[in-house]
Amino acid sequence: MGKFVQLVVDGLSTGSVYGALALAIVLVNQATGLINFAQGGMAVLSAYVVWVLTNQGLPLIVAILIAIVFSVVFGALVERWLMRRFERGDPDTAVVVTIGLLTLITGFAGWLWTYNNQQFPSLFSLDTVSFLGVSVSVRSLGTTAVIVVAMLLLQGLFVGTKLGLALRAVAINPQSAAFSGLNVGRLLMVGWGLAAALGAVAAVLVAPQLTLTPGMLDNALVYALAAVILGGLTSPIGVVVAAWIIGILENLAAVYVPFIGFDLKVAVPFILIFVVLLVRPQGLFGRKNVVRV
Amino acid sequence: MATSSTSSASTNSASTNSGSTNSSSAGRAASLWQRPWVRAAGWLLLLAVLVVLPLVMTEFVNQTLARIGVFSVAVLGLNVVMGYAGQVSLGQIFFLGVGAYVTAYGVSQEWNIVLVFVLACLLPAVAGLVVALAAARLGGLAIAMVTIALPIVGVPLAKRLSDYTGGSQGLSALFVEAPEGSGLYDDQWQLYVVLVIGGIVFLLTRNLVRGRYGRAFAIVKGNENVASSMGISPYRYKVLAFTVASLIGGVSGFLYMVVIQYTSPETMSFGHSIQLLAAMVIGGAASIVGSILGGAFYVLVPQLTNQVDASVTTLLQGVILLVVLFVLPGGLASLPRALTRGRRRSGAERGSAAPPTTPSSTPGSGTAAEEPETERQGHA
Repeated sequence: MGKFVQLVVDGLSTGSVYGALALAIVLVNQATGLINFAQGGMAVLSAYVVWVLTNQGLPLIVAILIAIVFSVVFGALVERWLMRRFERGDPDTAVVVTIGLLTLITGFAGWLWTYNNQQFPSLFSLDTVSFLGVSVSVRSLGTTAVIVVAMLLLQGLFVGTKLGLALRAVAINPQSAAFSGLNVGRLLMVGWGLAAALGAVAAVLVAPQLTLTPGMLDNALVYALAAVILGGLTSPIGVVVAAWIIGILENLAAVYVPFIGFDLKVAVPFILIFVVLLVRPQGLFGRKNVVRV
Repeated sequence: MATSSTSSASTNSASTNSGSTNSSSAGRAASLWQRPWVRAAGWLLLLAVLVVLPLVMTEFVNQTLARIGVFSVAVLGLNVVMGYAGQVSLGQIFFLGVGAYVTAYGVSQEWNIVLVFVLACLLPAVAGLVVALAAARLGGLAIAMVTIALPIVGVPLAKRLSDYTGGSQGLSALFVEAPEGSGLYDDQWQLYVVLVIGGIVFLLTRNLVRGRYGRAFAIVKGNENVASSMGISPYRYKVLAFTVASLIGGVSGFLYMVVIQYTSPETMSFGHSIQLLAAMVIGGAASIVGSILGGAFYVLVPQLTNQVDASVTTLLQGVILLVVLFVLPGGLASLPRALTRGRRRSGAERGSAAPPTTPSSTPGSGTAAEEPETERQGHA
């Protein structure tokens, strides 16, 4: 029983990381209708910024804050100078552009900082706390807590502020938003910046566990996309819930299903997807998209 | 061949208007190419070159050419699903890997080589069909989001099934050796095998994408709602395109074993999958020639950069991919047409007295964006 709870809490923590990345993908998709395959790559770049800054002797928390600011700026610049040109066109081309960006970032990081695994300082201690006879790691609890807080902040921004209202307007209908005097271009940059910041938080929290490499989040990206499909692109809450389900299920499957084990647990979300797609193609929480011809 | 005739006609009209000698000579060349006997002679010449080439080149060149052939076929498969049917697939390398593993296993069990070849085509096709049946149900980019998992699941899966795949060490199999008495070296014979099988695949695919199915793919790519209103089921054609792509991927896996003779889980890594996609876009989407250019890019660029600095390869591929998307969205295959367009435009500017009857020479992105459009119609 103790092991089971531990696995669930650990799964919740990795699920939160996937959830943050998935939420970033949904954020971009709502605003621009494309899937950013470079979301993980951009987050890894932010983690490298933290790594470089801490190597310079900066305290970890300061480095993380600087990296978050860096990600906002970087995300906004990517939108303005790379993606804007492809946003109105064919979504498939735009997707290929994000794949190009992923290749570029991976190649850049590998060229500058090598492809070797780098040790990354952890924000939380590696101790475990005992609670009702069950020991869970502080890192898992902390990771989950930080990401939940980040998501709540984001939710507050979208629901409670004027900027959030404008961002939602752009997401729903860019043309009408432009007619009502909103600066759509600037708002898209903000959306991309926020998404990049969320990804950066996820990357910094998961980097100590995975150790830093240019391809660190490739697997996490796959999980995040699985969560996006399962949750449905139209439902941010559904996506996060799906990410938690995936995180917990894959951890349990790795331990309790002998054939899957730790190396094949990445297949778990896709077995899940396969079943869900055949039964409920719009995702667990998504709406069916009705198109008028 | 509707496009070539219209394009030559428009080139002619442009040349009479602008009075530019350059474009009129281009037009004459195009109309010369229309004649059947010129075409036949051209193809015969190409065939003769391909027959003689392996005999006169060095072993290194032959092996490089054979590798280009292998990956041209892989890129061609990706082109069917992505270039022609418009569904982004990030998992093509997985089918190459499956084909290679099936070949290696079959050869190690000493099965009949024809049976091995058939299985190396069929098993990836069945796998592709199963994946597509689920993935194509979600519209939009779902195929991209699902297929990204194929290489990422495929690598640990290949390691796990070590009884069949040899685990991390992989499998090697040398089974295509020059027959005795032919006087050929192994590398020459392997290149011939690649040329024959690859040539047949290219020919069949060309017929597929220029026929009824190709037109259906183009409509599904252009607008799914229009397609279903015309009685073309987007779901069915997406599944079909993906399955054909997987089958061609399996053929390329067989050829991979012919030439490289070794496969490991690394063969179908995520990085290779991305590189294959980059090669397809750079070579030219929805283009037969582009597939060959893409295969050449896939093989030659790492070969060149490894001589300078191996760590720069990925960075360079990313840069080239983005530059191509910005400057030449139709890929290298559209370069000649982009050049004639540019020349025609500058010719029109010189002869400013002539009325601008050249089809709307809007500068920059406008014309560039039209590029794949015409290409697609040409193959439809």
